[in-house]
Amino acid sequence: MKKFKVGLATSALVLVASTITVAGPATVGLSVANAAPSQAPLNLANEQGALWSCAFNPFVPSSLPYSFGLTYESLDFVNALQSGKVTPWLASAYAWSNANKKLTFTIRSGVKWSDGVAFSAADVVYTFNLLKKNPALDLNAVWSVLSSVSSSGNKVVLNFKLAAVPYFFYVAGQVPIVPQHLWSKIAKPETSTIPNPVGTGGYIMSKCTGQNIKWTANPHFWKTGQAQIKVVNMPSFLSNNTCNEYLASGQSAWGSQFIPSIQSSYVAKKAGNAYWFAPVANVALFPNTTVPGLSDAKVRQAISYAINRSTISRIGEYGYEPAASQTGIVSPTFKSWVSSSSSAGLSSSANTTKAASILAADGYKKVNGVYTKGSTKLSFTLTTNGGYSDWIAAMQVLGQELTKFGIKVTLVTPAANTFYANLYAGKYQLAYNAEAGGPTPFYEMRQWLFSKNSAAIGTAASSNWERYSSPSTDALLNQYGTTTSASLQKSIVAKLEGVMVSQAPVIPVLEEVDWFQYNATHISGFPSSTNPYAQPGLYNQPDWGYVLDQLKPKA
Amino acid sequence: MRYLVRRIGFLLVALWAALTVNFLIPRLMPGNPAEAIIAQFKGHINPSALKAIEVELGIGGHQNLFASYLQYFGNTFRGHFGNSTESITTSVSHLIAQALPWTLGLVGVTTIFGFILGTGLGAIAAWKRGRFFDNVLPTVFVVISAFPYFWVGLISIWFFSLTLNWFPTLGGSNATAGFTGWALVGDILVHSVLPAFTILITSIGGWILTMRNNMITVVAEDYVKMARAKGLRPRRILMQYAGRNALLPNLTGFAMSLGFVISGAILVEYVFNYPGVGFLLLQAVSSNDYPLMQALFLLITVAVLLAIFVSDIATALLDPRTRGN
Amino acid sequence: MRLLHQSRHFLAEAWKFLRRDKKALVGSIILLILLVISAFPSWFTPDDPTAYAYTPGIGLSWAHPLGTTSFGQDVFSQLMAGTRQSVMIAMVVGFFCTILSVVIGISAAYLGGIVDDVLSLFTDVVLVIPTFPLVIVIAAYLKSASFWTVAFVLVITGWSYGARQLRVQALSLRNRDYLLAARARGESSLYVIFVELLPPMTSLIVANFLGAALYAIIAASGLQFVGLANVNTEAWGTMLYWAQNNEAFSAGLPLWALAPGIMIAIFGSALALLNYAFDEVSNPALRPVRSSERKLHKSRRSEVAA
Repeated sequence: MKKFKVGLATSALVLVASTITVAGPATVGLSVANAAPSQAPLNLANEQGALWSCAFNPFVPSSLPYSFGLTYESLDFVNALQSGKVTPWLASAYAWSNANKKLTFTIRSGVKWSDGVAFSAADVVYTFNLLKKNPALDLNAVWSVLSSVSSSGNKVVLNFKLAAVPYFFYVAGQVPIVPQHLWSKIAKPETSTIPNPVGTGGYIMSKCTGQNIKWTANPHFWKTGQAQIKVVNMPSFLSNNTCNEYLASGQSAWGSQFIPSIQSSYVAKKAGNAYWFAPVANVALFPNTTVPGLSDAKVRQAISYAINRSTISRIGEYGYEPAASQTGIVSPTFKSWVSSSSSAGLSSSANTTKAASILAADGYKKVNGVYTKGSTKLSFTLTTNGGYSDWIAAMQVLGQELTKFGIKVTLVTPAANTFYANLYAGKYQLAYNAEAGGPTPFYEMRQWLFSKNSAAIGTAASSNWERYSSPSTDALLNQYGTTTSASLQKSIVAKLEGVMVSQAPVIPVLEEVDWFQYNATHISGFPSSTNPYAQPGLYNQPDWGYVLDQLKPKA
Repeated sequence: MRYLVRRIGFLLVALWAALTVNFLIPRLMPGNPAEAIIAQFKGHINPSALKAIEVELGIGGHQNLFASYLQYFGNTFRGHFGNSTESITTSVSHLIAQALPWTLGLVGVTTIFGFILGTGLGAIAAWKRGRFFDNVLPTVFVVISAFPYFWVGLISIWFFSLTLNWFPTLGGSNATAGFTGWALVGDILVHSVLPAFTILITSIGGWILTMRNNMITVVAEDYVKMARAKGLRPRRILMQYAGRNALLPNLTGFAMSLGFVISGAILVEYVFNYPGVGFLLLQAVSSNDYPLMQALFLLITVAVLLAIFVSDIATALLDPRTRGN
Repeated sequence: MRLLHQSRHFLAEAWKFLRRDKKALVGSIILLILLVISAFPSWFTPDDPTAYAYTPGIGLSWAHPLGTTSFGQDVFSQLMAGTRQSVMIAMVVGFFCTILSVVIGISAAYLGGIVDDVLSLFTDVVLVIPTFPLVIVIAAYLKSASFWTVAFVLVITGWSYGARQLRVQALSLRNRDYLLAARARGESSLYVIFVELLPPMTSLIVANFLGAALYAIIAASGLQFVGLANVNTEAWGTMLYWAQNNEAFSAGLPLWALAPGIMIAIFGSALALLNYAFDEVSNPALRPVRSSERKLHKSRRSEVAA
């Protein structure tokens, strides 16, 4: 039911096991001295449908969510809810130079690893070179643009092969820094489980079983006054409804769950229960542009006008995921990026008159209720991930709407892996899926539209599954990477919005949200719509660890 | 002796067949599991990992089917099941070891209990043949055992857990309470009441009916009539003559049902979020974790075959007719 | 002529049997009603079962006798529309399982020798391989299984029990006088099997059909419930999938999850009651004891005692 993404993870898969223990002496006799007399632990409600495997390797997609952000920290915190606002973390400052090809970080002093050893610039250089040596660990492929990493004193210098402004998010915000003195002894870091992680962050894993992970506050934590919650538990839940019960009954004060009928089954169940679903990316229709009919921009446009996004949101998603815009801009999160000229005339409800006139002008006529031009009949299969029942429900509604309009849609919902294999290989007609997005609308636009992200039919494409290719769009996307000027970036994105509306290479349907429920009766400091300082979903790294540091028990 | 040799031969054939089915399914089905796994990692996969998957699933194209068949047997007998593709640093054996105690505890105990209770009730029903107890009980349980058992689980959760709040919500135990010792045992027991009830109520009917029917056949035999004629106390006839002999064929069924413990309650575990083997199988299925799926299917089959083997030995020891041959 | 006579005779027997056996009567009536609904679902569905046309999540009312789903679909209409697929899968799987069981079980018994050894071994092997896990694994590899895929998987995993039972009964009949006589007359094997061997086995074959159908409805609903079948079609198990995924109970819509389960239970009970009744026919010892018989039994006992 729940959709979650693991970072922007792309990873190697290794099947040989080797367990290497990274000793963590600091976990012994922890925080006896500074423990508050009776502070209730914070229990988290984060259903993953499995027992915990008790692995905390921050470079393995399946264990990264349980160590990155709370135990391991990155150089900066980049907030996707505030258009990529940067907060210093392990680096106290950064600067671009050499035509945005050189990035210099000033490394914070006085930081200690949780085993007491001092943290230094050497650890940062070690971490980046570790990724270079083991491409399997380089989940965001930062070495595809990096050329070298070196340090002198407390400065770390990253040299890039090209102007790489958008890569700041990945190198500064998505690379967990690990301790050289322990990791250099690990023979196979890509398969090590790291059962006792040692990091610089606010929380140390203190006990893990299949049923629960328990973290305790790091006594050596460098950010004084933070990480005030002493004990944090994350029980494993095998299904959504168990976890939702646990959350609704007040046993947990922080959850990131999909809860059907949330008003009656969560908010009304206990005083203080509240939720905030911040939109972060789009869930969109990807029309395969190599399929006859869908190769025609007018047909894609007609589809976009013919669907009632409000109805799809209300029925398929209980209204939690708001209607998306054909411009591709997620609002309210990125509303300052919306181009008024591109968004004019767009609506979240259907405009079938406009859709019909577009098709009529394009030469299509209804034959037996289906729009047809020559031998091209607008009749398509629509596929989505069979594991997400909310997506299936949304697509049932969308399919009924399009079929009624005159574009016949047959829904196919295979198991996840079949769906993804076909999507990546381009063996589909219409597909409903989400991209990873990023801290500004540019990231999702690039994933959607950059022709180099695509591949020939039959070969897996990392994104741009619809196989859209336009030299002028590619040029715009490349231009964005060379500038740090916010106004220039916005004007580039505005032009990309124009491409989205006139070409409709991708048809955004709903906005993907960050699932977040909380109860602030005993704890303060949760992010909110008025203070969206980080993504609050427990599956966002490093965000949820960053949030955990800010939380405080109420007296 | 000849009987046992025959049975062992049969079990070996069955084991070979199960292993072969397990080997062939991923290779005969449409689609390509390796491609799907690779797709999961968005095309970013290092060549050595790709090769490992291909060998694992035998679809490399560099190797003929027979060679990978032999390799598969070799790996299986050495207990090499590889790592889970969902949680790649974790071995399949570790995941199974974590889940097995839960299933053995819940389903195993319930199966034994259900057998004892059902057999007892069946014997009484047969003894009170034609009376109210016998007329109502079998019919009631014929109807109940035709219920979809996962749905019985759903309504018992709704009624006892959500409406009456008598039992905790789902799962195997309360992980965050930090119970130890007897408190932990108590917690686990409380969590097992509803799933156990569900399994019991939908499986007991089978035991009642088979025992009743066996008893009715036995009661009609001459030696029981003789015992009645001699005026032995009914209770004694029930326990010592009829009951004993009617139970014998049921013991084989009981041994087999112990073998089915591991796989017998998949949907009950699913409904109750019980962290056992059945849940693990469904989880492996939903995340397309092929190595885990194959290892679990093998475990389940081997458990059944072992149970049959044990029941064969028991039959050989208890039933003199099998010895003569 | 003889066959016609036999079938007429069979119908008369069946009617007598139904009048005598209340369990069979109840089972038959339920089955008949469900067959009518699945033959003409549109007669019973006041609303389009797939349309998201109504207020989501409302309770009982005249307009919606069982309320609506969280998506605003009419639960009663869905229930009626789902009858067809659920009843069909049981009937189709029951039918093909029975055909396989009869062919394999009777060939083994009638032909004997090496054929019997091989077929029996095959039957026993299929019998011990755990069915439901196998069904799950196969369904997982087949992805979003269609009606016929699910039926196929259930047939290849579901025939073995019946084949074994039928073989045992056919073996016991094989050496009866009338069969030996028919062979001695030089009748063809097909004639012996269809005219002499099968008719006395009718009740066991019917019981096997019912047993396989019962297995099919429970297993197919289970697959639909966990989302391994095609969730975009109407069936009772699929309704349970949607109800479970939208937490019908906590959302205050218990009827959404209760109703399809009750339908499966009613259908399953009908099959089980009929099955039980046919078992009694094929095993006379199990027939209900009438009070007069019991009295007779008692009086005999006193005779012996005297």
